[in-house]
Amino acid sequence: MDWNGLVLLSVLATSLVASGVILLLAESRVVLRSVFNLAAAVLKLLLVLWIILGVYRNVDYELRFTIIEGVDFILRADALGIMFVGLSSLLWLFTTIYAIGYLERAPNRSRFFGFFSLCVASTVGIALAGNLFTFLLFYELLTLSTYPLVVHRGTRESLRAGQVYLYYTLGGGALLLFGVVALHVLVGDTEFVPGGSLSGIDPSLHPLLIGIFLMMVVGLGVKAALFPLHAWLPMAMVAPAPVSALLHAVAVVKAGAFGIARVVYDVYGIEFAYSLGLLGPLAVAASITIVYGSLRALTQDDLKKRLAFSTISQVSYIILGISLFGPVGTIGGLVHLLHQGLMKITLFFCAGNYAETLGVHKISELDGAGERMPATSVAFTLGALGMIGIPPLAGFVSKWYLGIGALSAGMNWVLAVLILSSLLNAAYFLPILYRIWFRKRDRVWCEGKALGWFETSGWLLFPTLATAAFALIAGLLAGMPFSPLYWAELIVSREYLQ
Amino acid sequence: MSGIVGLVALLLAPGVPLALAVLWSFPRLRRHIGPLAPWAAVPALLLALFGQPGATVELAWLLFGAQIGMTGTTQVFLFFTALIWFAAGIHGRGHLSKDDHCERFCVFWLLTLTGNIGLILALDVALFYTSFALMSFAAYGLIVHDGSRAALRAGRVYLVLAVLGESLILIGLILAARLTDAPLVPMLVDLPRAIAVAPERDLIIASLWLGFGVKAGLPLLHFSLPLAYAAAPVPVAAALAGAMIKAGLLGWLVTLPLGQAGLQDWGTIVIAAGLVAAFGGALIGVNQTRPRLVLAYSSISQMGMVSVAIGAWLSVPELGPLLAVAITVFALHHALAKAALFLGTEVVRHRTRRPVIWLWIGLGIPALGLVGLMPSGLLTKTTLKAALTAGSTMPEMWSSLPLLLGLAATGTTALMARHLWLLRLEAGRDDAPPAAWHGWALITAATVLGVFMLPLWGIRPDWMGALAGLPNALWPVAAGLVLAVLAWRWLRPWPIPPADVLVLLTPLPGLVLRAGQALGVTGPAIQRVLRHLQALALDRYRRADHRVGRATVHLWRRDAPLLFVLILALLAIYGLSIV
Repeated sequence: MDWNGLVLLSVLATSLVASGVILLLAESRVVLRSVFNLAAAVLKLLLVLWIILGVYRNVDYELRFTIIEGVDFILRADALGIMFVGLSSLLWLFTTIYAIGYLERAPNRSRFFGFFSLCVASTVGIALAGNLFTFLLFYELLTLSTYPLVVHRGTRESLRAGQVYLYYTLGGGALLLFGVVALHVLVGDTEFVPGGSLSGIDPSLHPLLIGIFLMMVVGLGVKAALFPLHAWLPMAMVAPAPVSALLHAVAVVKAGAFGIARVVYDVYGIEFAYSLGLLGPLAVAASITIVYGSLRALTQDDLKKRLAFSTISQVSYIILGISLFGPVGTIGGLVHLLHQGLMKITLFFCAGNYAETLGVHKISELDGAGERMPATSVAFTLGALGMIGIPPLAGFVSKWYLGIGALSAGMNWVLAVLILSSLLNAAYFLPILYRIWFRKRDRVWCEGKALGWFETSGWLLFPTLATAAFALIAGLLAGMPFSPLYWAELIVSREYLQ
Repeated sequence: MSGIVGLVALLLAPGVPLALAVLWSFPRLRRHIGPLAPWAAVPALLLALFGQPGATVELAWLLFGAQIGMTGTTQVFLFFTALIWFAAGIHGRGHLSKDDHCERFCVFWLLTLTGNIGLILALDVALFYTSFALMSFAAYGLIVHDGSRAALRAGRVYLVLAVLGESLILIGLILAARLTDAPLVPMLVDLPRAIAVAPERDLIIASLWLGFGVKAGLPLLHFSLPLAYAAAPVPVAAALAGAMIKAGLLGWLVTLPLGQAGLQDWGTIVIAAGLVAAFGGALIGVNQTRPRLVLAYSSISQMGMVSVAIGAWLSVPELGPLLAVAITVFALHHALAKAALFLGTEVVRHRTRRPVIWLWIGLGIPALGLVGLMPSGLLTKTTLKAALTAGSTMPEMWSSLPLLLGLAATGTTALMARHLWLLRLEAGRDDAPPAAWHGWALITAATVLGVFMLPLWGIRPDWMGALAGLPNALWPVAAGLVLAVLAWRWLRPWPIPPADVLVLLTPLPGLVLRAGQALGVTGPAIQRVLRHLQALALDRYRRADHRVGRATVHLWRRDAPLLFVLILALLAIYGLSIV
């Protein structure tokens, strides 16, 4: 094993080891646990930054060993994978800080943080997986490690949500498994290679490949919350805010979307997928999900529920971008993978802040929250405006690229979907902003806990402000080197335009 | 101003208000930023006065790679925009300092100003659109500032229209940008040519025309204007009516394929819409009972006249250079006059020790300017008419255009008479805030002098032509005055509500109310029924949504495993059948 492989392994190991140690720590060792957890998160972020620089300079990071003949375990850092790793390690750090503040004095914190780290380890595994087998391994691990987080509170409602969550994700996982196995039988071990590896296959097998594609996309679509496989997501809202933030922004839904990107780009290859006629239906499915999620979000009064339906809609932007044949659409989809994560995690952090500080869970109770919690409300405003796609926030960059990408792919109707979705997003986000900033509270706030110097605990406030700032900067400074847009363009130039 | 100083000035013009807005987020600095806010427009003003057109600054890191710079036309726009914001800011200083929400107002003010200056200086599409959106959305906070019901309603209507407008503009820009040389970093200069050859040409023109028309008061999209102008604080109304309405015009100027051949149909449509606005605005305006509403409709009417020029440009590209000058002069003239009129509506309310005659002279100057009796107004009218009649081959129907514009000027006269008449009733109601006079006096002086500064920006006005056109400009004024006197003696205003079309369109309460009253049913009862109907529709949607939600959850919770097995089986059968 060479030096670079070791670096790669240690990225994975930081969270795995953290997970093991934290699970073993006694419940009362709060400080030790927090320090250890944060140290692991920071260390991992530094390692990831190192690898990002390396990938930028075309250094190969690979680690592989054979499990049984014909089945390899491969970790590899390519531009696409490292983008997802970067997102998850950055947001892992913020979410950990947030969760420490959020779960102050809550029971079962060792269990929570242990599985939390395991969840991030699986996400990193998914991102770094170099073939379908490794991907599947971590994909299932993610399902299992998030379940304890969803049911963390242990209430009847959360247990039920957890049950539904398991049905869905295991069902989807089973489909994916069958797809992977079928593909393995057909062509052997499928490594992820730019441009895909299936285009040379015998044309008589093409119908079978279409079937396998369907199976895998449906399996992955469960986690990506494609309509009609999305029902678990709004229910999983019973989980604590940091979990929702992580599920929505980084781990679960993104794993699904990322998986679809891998299958389309690195297994089938976008040109081959296009020639099989698979992209059109995928675009239609994504568009339906986009509109459906927005329509459902309109009527939700529970803030987290509205955000959940918004996620359903927004994650499909990524899938829409993937299904647009052409580099610009690809950039739009991939960049939204990062942008949606930054914006959505901000929104969930804010929802958590309102709930923890003011005891407010419903949108109709948010009147005048801006006066009481200005910083949180500014962050929420940035996130919401970004979701609508108002420049100069991150969402605008995605929308612009998706729009141009759709036109260059000859799918002009997608532009209508994008605009309709923006209008619906405006229709369900702007009323919230109106309540926060321009309505007056008629009662006194029932303050949640002792808060210290700021409007809420600093543990809750700073991660929120940081991610909001990132969401703003990602759009405003999209032309800077190493901005999300820059990296997405790098991926496209490196992998799909060779 | 040359070289490096010019480039720095280009950055400072939008940068200073933005920096102040950012600094505002530190609570400790807020107290100091309030007094600075009016002065935030000064760098832009200096740039407009002393800058050289042509210099550009590339900001590769901003958005997709932004560029800012000035052309001769945008420099004029920058001048009046910055001056109006400056004067309005000074005007607002006094009475806003006593306001509870003064700090909130301050940040929205700075952001709107940043957007307004940014969109004038932007050379690339992304920055232009960003600035435009920033201005549109931040202005909402200014409009609803006092929190009254009228203000909130105005804000809601404004916001809905703004969102629709932004969406339309985005459609147009994306469709057009794709056909430019660099679709991902499109420049504004490349748009007209790209649009002219685009397969979706008509869709693009329609989107951009309507999208910017929301700001520029296009008929049927105009109804947020009267509501907002009447409900917003006076300095905001002045900025809205003077500067921001011109942002819509600038949007048309920089994006529409002006000067490209083969757009006669669009030209006709735009001219027709302009004439409808010019006359409709005047007709509805004279029936209003509040000075600010009269002014709002006057703005719509004036923008209609500019629309005629835009339409003419679309129809006959060869008129381009002449029309460009005419439109620029018109924009400068109308912006300054309208801002002065709006600030005047508040100045007149305040008792002062100064001789009243000066006040009325001051109030009369911009009104006289608009009807065409001051140098600026006269020059504007004659330049426009000269440009419209300069072409060698003119469409048949254009022969009546000068007459129609003259008739529209009659409407303007009537509107101004009505405005001054209504102002008389409001005079001297409140005490004077100390700063109110300065801003108003500054902008009033600018309405007189601004037009003489045109050579500064490379525009040589044809003063001889203007003088020769004086007799022609007199008859509309005389006719308007006669009309005004007749109306004052014998007619009573017809009560058209400020959001005329809105009231008629959604959900028709105006008509229904009137019909009900005719039948003897009281207004409140009908309003109750209407509210009930609205609630019913909302309830329907909510219930349908609930049913869908329950169905999916039920189906998928109970039967999710079964379903996945089913999908698997189907796919397996499909696979087997192939193999």
